[in-house]
Amino acid sequence: MQLEYILVLAAALFCIGIYGLVTSRNAVRVLMSIELLLNSVNLNFMGFSNFLDPSEIKGQVFTVFVLTVAAAEAAVGLAIILAIYRNRNTIDMEQFNLLKW
Amino acid sequence: MNTFFSQSVWLVPCYPLLGMGLSALWMPSITRKTGPRPAGYVNMLLTLMALVHSCLAFIERWEQPALKPSLTWLQAADLTLSIDLDISSITIGALILIAGINLLAQLYAVAYLEMDWGWARFFATMSLFEAGMCALVLCNSLFFSYVVLEILTLGTYLLIGYWFNQSLVVTGARDAFLTKRVGDLFLLMGVVALLPLAGTWNFDGLAEWAATAELDPTLATLLCLALIAGPLGKCAQFPLHLWLDEAMESPVPATVVRNSLVVGTGAWVLIKLQPIFALSDFASTFMIAIGATTALGAAMVAIAQIDIKRSLSYSVSAYMGMVFMAVGSQQDQTTLVLLLTYGVAMAILVMAIGGVVLVNISQDLTQYGGLWSRRPITGICYLVGAASLVALPPFGGFWSLAQLTTNFWKTSPILAVILITVNALTSFSIMREFGLIFGGKPKQMTVRSPEGLWALVLPMVILAGFALHSPFILAKLNFLPDWHQLNLPLAAVLIISTMVGGGTAMYLYLNEKISKPIHIFSDPVREFFAKDLYTAELYKNTVIFAVALISKIIDWLDRYFVDGVINFLGLATLFGGQSLKYNNSGQSQSYALSIVAGILLFIAALSYPLLKHWQF
Repeated sequence: MQLEYILVLAAALFCIGIYGLVTSRNAVRVLMSIELLLNSVNLNFMGFSNFLDPSEIKGQVFTVFVLTVAAAEAAVGLAIILAIYRNRNTIDMEQFNLLKW
Repeated sequence: MNTFFSQSVWLVPCYPLLGMGLSALWMPSITRKTGPRPAGYVNMLLTLMALVHSCLAFIERWEQPALKPSLTWLQAADLTLSIDLDISSITIGALILIAGINLLAQLYAVAYLEMDWGWARFFATMSLFEAGMCALVLCNSLFFSYVVLEILTLGTYLLIGYWFNQSLVVTGARDAFLTKRVGDLFLLMGVVALLPLAGTWNFDGLAEWAATAELDPTLATLLCLALIAGPLGKCAQFPLHLWLDEAMESPVPATVVRNSLVVGTGAWVLIKLQPIFALSDFASTFMIAIGATTALGAAMVAIAQIDIKRSLSYSVSAYMGMVFMAVGSQQDQTTLVLLLTYGVAMAILVMAIGGVVLVNISQDLTQYGGLWSRRPITGICYLVGAASLVALPPFGGFWSLAQLTTNFWKTSPILAVILITVNALTSFSIMREFGLIFGGKPKQMTVRSPEGLWALVLPMVILAGFALHSPFILAKLNFLPDWHQLNLPLAAVLIISTMVGGGTAMYLYLNEKISKPIHIFSDPVREFFAKDLYTAELYKNTVIFAVALISKIIDWLDRYFVDGVINFLGLATLFGGQSLKYNNSGQSQSYALSIVAGILLFIAALSYPLLKHWQF
């Protein structure tokens, strides 16, 4: 068990999240990908907090904040998606290209 | 010794300048009701003042040393431009000739422009000319001579373009301006190149410098050629002679002044520059060659013309060619005498011709005939002018031509032969005109041909009187060559050449049995001379063609290349904006992708130095 493995795992999770964020057509799935990103960040925080700062574990405090904010963000995100859905009757990301050139 | 008039002789150019300003008052757009005639009268009055002033000054300066006042015009850094004047009996004599002929030409114009409303413009330009010529002869500085020559070029343009609603007038004025301008620009090169060499533009200073100067021969030759080029255009010498032919579109009174005086301005500058031409043998040879070519060519062309004014204008070129030959062989005094007698004689001829043209409308020699019985005064004046022009003793032209021939015979006989030939050809052409106009039977255009008004005849008669007195005047001025200096057999040959030329013309054109038109040469040869050696085509196919082609190429390059590069930049920016806006796809996911890509690139750039040292 080493810090590098944790970091690599978190990075892989981040990349998966980015892939999902960029390619998903479903808006909810985009939010889910964002959750993946945040979770990979949390993994980083936890890893650094364990291996580099075991005494004061500031990383864990950050993780708690990130979780809280992520929940709030997901709530707002879902509310936005719902608002868009009410207007346009779809949550297909490719239909939301009104603000182009 | 009272010197009031000679010290104030600089006022002489100012009188006509004042007249020029005053005549503007009678422009049709300013004086709308009472007509333009006072413009002419005012100018004549001022010219008369100039003439009287010059005469009084001449009496004062006769056999007195020259006055050389100087006035600083501009002083900047170490360059001082001063207006130097040369007030000697020769320059004042030239003033008298200029003012006198101008006065007579203006009186002549009063009759000639009877039916014309543009007196203000005409007399203003004539006065500009007079002022310019007076300033030129008084001026003792090459720089200011050049300034005046340019003003005269502008005056030529305005005067030829007097009746500007005629298309030939417009092209003639254009050609006269450009051709003379080209010569003047070369002259400017010479003038500018002279200052660092000589350090002065004063003619006396130049003469002093030239006496001891040691120049590189090539430099001296180029300098002299540039200085010759200005007078070359001014004097209508080959190959810058076409303008004089086209300048015959101007009113006759203007032609009087131009043919007798203005073409002489170039010769005047040449004489003043004589010490410099001594620096380069090639320049003198060149001058003589140009003069001889023009004299021979123009004399032949004059014979082949059917337009009476143009025929005379080529005789002008021929005489200026002789002046070039004279200057090229350093015969200044003889040249001055030649200019004096020539100016008077040519003015008479042009005035006589103008009177005929005014009444008979046509200028076509083949339309004339039988005027002798009806126009005796014009005919006699014409004969007097002709006699004074060619070598026929005791009239004026003989003396200088005989002197020239004698001098040429000593140095290079071929030039003497050319001179005699030109004299014969000119006699032929002048007498041919006489025969065609005054001899034979009246034709349709000349059936009714009254003598002109008094103002048309009087100046001509006065000038004819002056021409008849010219031997005495020349003798009084000590300008006549001694008989024992002259080569008498040669003078006899000269007189015989006049007789032969004039006699042949009289025989051919006054003889009713010979059918007109006369064919002396075969058609192509006649055509060649009648069309002035195809000079117009020559210009069109060489200089004009080249300049037009280069202009078109440069215009094209400017339009499509220079403008194109800048326009391309604009267009590229426009295209860039128009096409790059599609990056704003409206898809927030693509924005996210570009953010990620940007971050990755940024990281890659940051870590590039590290990657280089990566040890695998």
